[in-house]
Amino acid sequence: MTAEQYLAADLRRAIAEDPRTAELGVRVTVRGNHVLLTGDVTCEERRAALEEVLQDVAPELHVMNDVCVTPAGEPVGEEELR
Amino acid sequence: MIRIAAVGDVHLGEDARGRLRPALEKVGEHADVLLLAGDLTRHGTVEEAHVVADEFADLPVPVIAVLGNHDHHSDCANEVSDVLTGHGVHVLEGTAVKFQLNGCSVGVAGVKGFGGGFAGKCGSMFGEREMKSFIGHSIEVSGMLKDALSSLHTDIKIALTHYSPVPDTLRGEPPEIYPFLGSYLLGEAVDETGTNLAVHGHAHFGTEQGLTPGGVRVRNVAQPIIRSAYKVYCVEPAVVES
Repeated sequence: MTAEQYLAADLRRAIAEDPRTAELGVRVTVRGNHVLLTGDVTCEERRAALEEVLQDVAPELHVMNDVCVTPAGEPVGEEELR
Repeated sequence: MIRIAAVGDVHLGEDARGRLRPALEKVGEHADVLLLAGDLTRHGTVEEAHVVADEFADLPVPVIAVLGNHDHHSDCANEVSDVLTGHGVHVLEGTAVKFQLNGCSVGVAGVKGFGGGFAGKCGSMFGEREMKSFIGHSIEVSGMLKDALSSLHTDIKIALTHYSPVPDTLRGEPPEIYPFLGSYLLGEAVDETGTNLAVHGHAHFGTEQGLTPGGVRVRNVAQPIIRSAYKVYCVEPAVVES
């Protein structure tokens, strides 16, 4: 593995294990000085918390936060299983 | 016909209190029963369990849940279950519940489930104590699911788990982590018991639709997959010639 891969692994563990985030459903990709976050979280506060944790663990990286807040509206239609 | 609403991985906490409630208030217009496929909380604390309980309390349909790995994180899964049960949620762990809905008997058997992997690419109960314990847990909970499903003699039989019984609904996740996302032993329990539908969560990057080796439909209802407060599936009981 390259150093970038080790770093991505460390960051992914940090956002899973830090109680401020506890997110296992966020992908971390490191490219040079950039770290890209993708996936879904439950609310806007948790999206912001991801950046907070990364700032503590790897302040030198520029965070690109593409994480979405999962929609929680009424479903459209239904699926019939026959 | 029975309309089954289902969602998993809602990961509620104080910061997300009430997020699902507007859509849940109308669940009775969409469905006859609501299934929760685990990871109801974020850290598995009693405080978070109260948020979950408030979110799903006093709904016009029965609410049936299993816990997920997040709900075990604070080592107080029993207390989490007790809070939910106290607010009218049926929490299953190797157990089953039955309802009469629209003139049709519906049974739901549930268990958290566990990892271990899928046929030909799975761990075995061999070697270090940690490995035996990991696979042993999967064997144990899958056996509990099989027994609970076998105990049901209803028109419609549903298996509810957090971990996946098939690899189909994991497509989109890295194949290397499949052994942490489900076990074929859960699928075997579904296939051996005349089950009509298997519902699970856990795999946020997976796919909604799958099928067991025995031809039973599987649906991954993790909220990041279904992208709504719940998804509704309509199931017809099998027609029995008399």
